[in-house]
Amino acid sequence: MSEQHPTLVTRAMTRRRMLQGTALAGVAAFLAACGTAAQSATPSAAPSEAASTAPSEAPSPSPAASATAKPSPAAELNFANWPLYIDQDSSNPPKSPTLDGFTKKYGTKVNYRESISANEDFFGTIRPALQAGQDTGWDLVVLTDWMAAKIIGLGWVETLDTANTPKFVANESDNLRNQPWDPDNNKRAPWQSGMTGLGFDAKVVGNQTATAAIWQPDPRWKGKVWLLNEMRDTIALTLLKLGKDPATATNADCDAAIAEIKKAVDGGIVRSFLGNDYKEQLIKGDLVLGFAWSGDIIQAQLERASLKFNIPSEGGMLWTDNMLIPKGAAHKYTAELMIDYVYDPEIAAQIAAYVQFVSPVKGCKEAIAKNADKSVAALAKNPLMFPDAATLAKTHIFKALSADEDKYFNDQFSTLQGN
Amino acid sequence: MTALLRRYRFIVPYLLLTPGLIWLAIFYVYPSVQMFISSFWSGSLERGFTFSLSNVHNYTDALSRYQDQIVRSIFFAAAATVATFLISFPLAYTIAFRAGQYKNLLLFLVIAPFFTSFLLRVISWRTILGDDGLLLGPLKSAGLVGDDVRILATPVAVIAGIAYNFLPFMTLPIYVSLEKIDKRLLEAGQDLYATPWSAFRKITLPLALPGIFAGTLLTFIPAMGDYVNAELLGQTPGTKMIGNVVQSRFLVNNDYPTAAALSFILMAGILVAVAVYARLLGTEELVSSAG
Repeated sequence: MSEQHPTLVTRAMTRRRMLQGTALAGVAAFLAACGTAAQSATPSAAPSEAASTAPSEAPSPSPAASATAKPSPAAELNFANWPLYIDQDSSNPPKSPTLDGFTKKYGTKVNYRESISANEDFFGTIRPALQAGQDTGWDLVVLTDWMAAKIIGLGWVETLDTANTPKFVANESDNLRNQPWDPDNNKRAPWQSGMTGLGFDAKVVGNQTATAAIWQPDPRWKGKVWLLNEMRDTIALTLLKLGKDPATATNADCDAAIAEIKKAVDGGIVRSFLGNDYKEQLIKGDLVLGFAWSGDIIQAQLERASLKFNIPSEGGMLWTDNMLIPKGAAHKYTAELMIDYVYDPEIAAQIAAYVQFVSPVKGCKEAIAKNADKSVAALAKNPLMFPDAATLAKTHIFKALSADEDKYFNDQFSTLQGN
Repeated sequence: MTALLRRYRFIVPYLLLTPGLIWLAIFYVYPSVQMFISSFWSGSLERGFTFSLSNVHNYTDALSRYQDQIVRSIFFAAAATVATFLISFPLAYTIAFRAGQYKNLLLFLVIAPFFTSFLLRVISWRTILGDDGLLLGPLKSAGLVGDDVRILATPVAVIAGIAYNFLPFMTLPIYVSLEKIDKRLLEAGQDLYATPWSAFRKITLPLALPGIFAGTLLTFIPAMGDYVNAELLGQTPGTKMIGNVVQSRFLVNNDYPTAAALSFILMAGILVAVAVYARLLGTEELVSSAG
């Protein structure tokens, strides 16, 4: 283990040196690298070793050790998230009150980047570093349940020192705790949850409440329908339309769903498979009906009021995006501070009022209801942000696919999309 | 130093080649070898990949599974090349022979769009070609085309996108070869009672061939592997090109062997196409006769 340290230091240093270029910066980076290497090596196993051997992770660090010698917040935090997934100052758009508040509180500069637009694509960019046991350059990344489960399974995340995240421990929604892929509840913290259902322009297509509409060659939407390029969302809604449960999907079910979607594609009804950018085309009117994420539609309504989101009568999906600290992250402690910070109900309300997905933080609803701005306070009654039991009863969760199933489903889904 | 160089004069060309060779070795040869090795892998990301020469079936599998996309890529690239040529030749001809004092301005305008990012340009085409966008909107409200007509998410959009993006690569080489033509040759032709058309066919066109050849290669080769236009303007299963498959195999499905095999199939395909083309046009004589 101690033999790992020198390699860790040189790796971190050469990487930084390459980034910064000058000899002077190299010296500074050397010092910084020494600091981070020591810091990340104490609370957890050396990344390279853990990544190659133990997918089930070494025991978590003793809280006593971190209580006696508390590290200080780092100068920067590298945070990767999905587009439009944090509050922005309406008069000064790229600025985020939440991030500014964090900087004020801890003196940490947050390098917040909207670098994630698809789970697989983003994982593709950090995987080489994780595989090699190196720092990915990110301290905090936000990925959907199944991808989080996959990365945790590979042993590529840091275990949270929950002594540093008391608000997360206290305020996490009960229904999200202790997932089968994170039984100790210390490998990830939910960022936002949301629902997948039907998004549409009600002025063009009327009020659509059933997924089955997508298979009808109605001239109002034929050729202007999109499906999501997230395999699980599109397959799941189709399975529900076929009367099958995504929680027990088999390869045969996958085939059935693919064949069903193919009918709508070959019939010229479905135009494309898209990620986040369906929103822009929906606002422009090139698309009018398709599978959508709840918060996206609430946000897009600001630009086109006739947009609407429904949980289909056949059933919709419920998912959660999770904050993870990638193995070997340079600023693990600061990332934990960020997790704790966004689990403050007031901060959670600030984020939720803007992104309008389902907040995983207890007390968020109450904090929103108290907001002085009436239009914000009214959000506490929005069933898409704070779903009631009846709405939740219509939602389903995708099963955890085995590696073989995952490959099979993705392969079929890729072929369907023409790649 | 100069004395030394004078003595070992034969070494000079190698010295001049060194930076290029090092560059090629690091950024082309090394990744290619790496990629070639991974095209013979089998396995998965979770279980690890193993190398075996018996995995040559990666190539045949990829060929048969993605033949639609391969054929489509050739077709799209060829169509885009022809479209670029049809636009570029009159353009280059006008700039070279008729532009007078505006020559430099026009040349600048040809490359002006390149001052904005490639992605931005493609995305703005999405606005222009939108179902109710700048182009179709007025046509639809005038009743000239039906309401269900669209350009986005059709092969036309992808081919047009590629043609637009590679226009300067066709225009500039053709311009250069036209520029070099000695006007006295045309005058001599006229003196010998050549009509303008036969002078063009017998003098201008043959002398422009090296430029046309270079332009088609500069357009066709990158167009074959292009995936941005298909991704942003096509967006539909029926317009995906081989570049989209390689991208999705690499980044979405973690299927490195197939992606690597497809890359080599693409490379081989282009080499064969270019070899045949060069044979047909007989470039070497052309280049030497023009130069």
